[in-house]
Amino acid sequence: MSLLEMNGISKAFNGVQVLKGVRLNVEQGEVHALLGENGAGKSTLMNVLTGVFPKDSGTIAFDGKEIDTITIRQSEELGIAFVHQELNLFNDLKVYENIFLGKEYQNKLGKLNKRKMMEETERLFHELGVDINPSELVANLKTSQKQMLEIAKALFFKAKLLILDEPTTSLNNEEVKHLFSIVNHLKKTGTSFIFISHKMPEIFELADRYTVFRNGEFIGDGAIGDTTPEEVTGLMVGENYSAGEVYEKRKPGEVILELHDFSGPGFKEVSLQVKKGQIIGLTGLQGSGSSELMQCMFGVTEAISGEMKIRGKRVPSHSIHKAMEAKIAMLASNRKENSVIPDMSLLENMYLAEHTLSARRPHIQKRKEEERFEAFKTLLNIKARSSSDSILSLSGGNQQKVFIARWLNTDADILLFDNPTQGIDVGAKAEIYKLILEMAKKGKTILINTLEIPEIQKVADFCAVFYNGRMIKILEHDEINDTTVMLYSTNAVNQEIGG
Amino acid sequence: MKAGEKKNGISFGVLSKWCGEFSFIIVFVLIFLVYALTSNGLTWSGTMNIFRHSAVVGIIGLGMGLVCMTGEIDLSVGSMLALNSGLSVIMFNITDHILMTLLFALLFGAACGLINGLLVGYIKMPAFIVTLATMLIFRSFAQYICQHIDKALAGGGSSVYRMIKELSSYQPFYGLGNGKVLTVPIVGLILILMTALFVYITTSTKYGKKVYAVGSNAKGAQMAGINVSLMKVSVFVLAGILTGLASFLWVAMNASSDPATTGSSYEMYAIAAVVLGGISMSGGKGKCLGILFGAMSYTIIDKIIVALKMDSLINDAIKGIILILVIVVQIIGPRIKERLTRHN
Repeated sequence: MSLLEMNGISKAFNGVQVLKGVRLNVEQGEVHALLGENGAGKSTLMNVLTGVFPKDSGTIAFDGKEIDTITIRQSEELGIAFVHQELNLFNDLKVYENIFLGKEYQNKLGKLNKRKMMEETERLFHELGVDINPSELVANLKTSQKQMLEIAKALFFKAKLLILDEPTTSLNNEEVKHLFSIVNHLKKTGTSFIFISHKMPEIFELADRYTVFRNGEFIGDGAIGDTTPEEVTGLMVGENYSAGEVYEKRKPGEVILELHDFSGPGFKEVSLQVKKGQIIGLTGLQGSGSSELMQCMFGVTEAISGEMKIRGKRVPSHSIHKAMEAKIAMLASNRKENSVIPDMSLLENMYLAEHTLSARRPHIQKRKEEERFEAFKTLLNIKARSSSDSILSLSGGNQQKVFIARWLNTDADILLFDNPTQGIDVGAKAEIYKLILEMAKKGKTILINTLEIPEIQKVADFCAVFYNGRMIKILEHDEINDTTVMLYSTNAVNQEIGG
Repeated sequence: MKAGEKKNGISFGVLSKWCGEFSFIIVFVLIFLVYALTSNGLTWSGTMNIFRHSAVVGIIGLGMGLVCMTGEIDLSVGSMLALNSGLSVIMFNITDHILMTLLFALLFGAACGLINGLLVGYIKMPAFIVTLATMLIFRSFAQYICQHIDKALAGGGSSVYRMIKELSSYQPFYGLGNGKVLTVPIVGLILILMTALFVYITTSTKYGKKVYAVGSNAKGAQMAGINVSLMKVSVFVLAGILTGLASFLWVAMNASSDPATTGSSYEMYAIAAVVLGGISMSGGKGKCLGILFGAMSYTIIDKIIVALKMDSLINDAIKGIILILVIVVQIIGPRIKERLTRHN
């Protein structure tokens, strides 16, 4: 008998059917991949399961017991734990305090038994092979450690089913490996996992079975061993999917961007020449300096030494406005924090950057802006009803397109894309990379920082690999592949030479 | 059947959205109805007087509204009103010139706002602390200067700044504060004009959009090229200039300013008008039009209490209760709506 059986689950919001009678069965001790594009209904189903929203119809059975209505508290007591993509930890509390929050060990007078809590935490971490100091402040932990802490927290309270929502987005490859080894270990002891991810290689490495949703409908399920990434992707996106190569060779223009011994916080002595219309991939493990370089180029941080020239003219450091005037644009990573203005409409979000450049003409010409918005909406294929809708009403992929429009609207020549496909589904990813190629054809120069090598492989003319703050290798388009990039980004190459 | 339901659902949605966005008008109408019922015979001039009595708080409220839209707060405006109006009286007594007095009030207000703004925007101190400190400083200066300045300049009074009646511009100045154009008080017209100006600034200029953006997500605004520190300085300076204008009107209306009581608790009334007007204290949301209605609602409450011959000391209690009620409705309303739609 399955650990979890959800059958015929339907859910509607304001008359819009989000789930149409879907089913999901999870066996004991398996990793079950829940697949589908953004908006397919995965999150909604998980929220129904954990009691965030009530279901409209359908049945849920967990551990052999039929559950009719479920509250968040009940789902916790049953042993269902949701490890969210946006981590639900308290940064100002210590590690062990986060684990025991609301369930503290205390004596009759309410005095906390801190030692016991710390010891228990230590024991748990030791079992899991996690290296975190229980009395460290959560704010000081790395993102990967926070992820481990969330999982540890769930396990401490005897979770039988863990929902991992895109757990690897902010982890580097080493950390992903560690996470997977922990998951595999727990699987053997009978814990089940629902694994939500957009990364096919991970799904095929970790998962035992899968379920695919599309547009709120159940499309299919089966064992991972019986299928291929192409087949699953096909199920997820439907018919209009083509895995075909999008890259084509273009003739680059004159040199537009030069970095000379450019150093700043997190990166050292980077020298680079980029020609008009080129697409450059930057990559490296997290903290290797590629993202930091981009931030410094855009004026977010101050350069320490060296210089950046655009069309031969030196660009002053540490001013976003000056960088924008030099026709640089940056699509920042971490969309929610750095790009989304939550109280504003699509149109306002799109025009924000342009407004800072044209502040000398203070009056807003509403009709002209609406026309531009419609033009970008068609160009970028943004799926939105009206320009006055809230930015929060769009899916991640469509939000990202609005922000691409924000920067195209500034007429920038050099576009810096920092992790542009973070939290975006497969279909929208392909679309965004197609757009990047089209923009390059029209003469835009594009730098993309990403950890996902297949994405660079698709579009980049060459790829700069970072290690420990330095740019250690430039790979031509034909040389870019997973193994080579990994060799350089872990610096395995130089170790071999040295050893 | 289905189509009918859908249509019904949409109109319900539009209506509730409108109610949510313009709740300040509903509150105003309700309070005005109570006023109409309690006062014996609603008169035109009595109604127009609401504008007159809302002018000072309303104009200060506009500045407070901008500050709140960026997610900050300015507690110093009441004391700033006392200091600025006192010094404006002195300026008038020296120059005997209305425009010079206005210019002084605006510039001095801008300077006071600049101090707040620089400390909040560039030193990055919490606005609550900065303006709490300047609130104490401004009030203290207002009282100290009044005691230690040449009595002739302060109009001869002992603890009050008074305009000298014998000056040639006295009558036109006082007339400005108390006169009417086509039965509408001049100061009320100025309030309406300023509201219109700031409605325009916040809805139809690039500057206005930046104010909202900074309050909604400061990091995001910065990454879109907005100079967040400068924006914060600018809203505090604007709040100072508007308080300067309010000081000028105060002097024109009263011909004097008592540094101990002028503008006392006005920062709270301004914040209350801003909140009643639907502006979120955490920033990024709200309409300037709401501030006009918020300020007028509070003026009417004063008038209701007078009409009912109640002790005026109960005034603030009633204002406070209404503020809480309105916010409770604003917060609970959407929850009730959600529950209703869920059950449907």
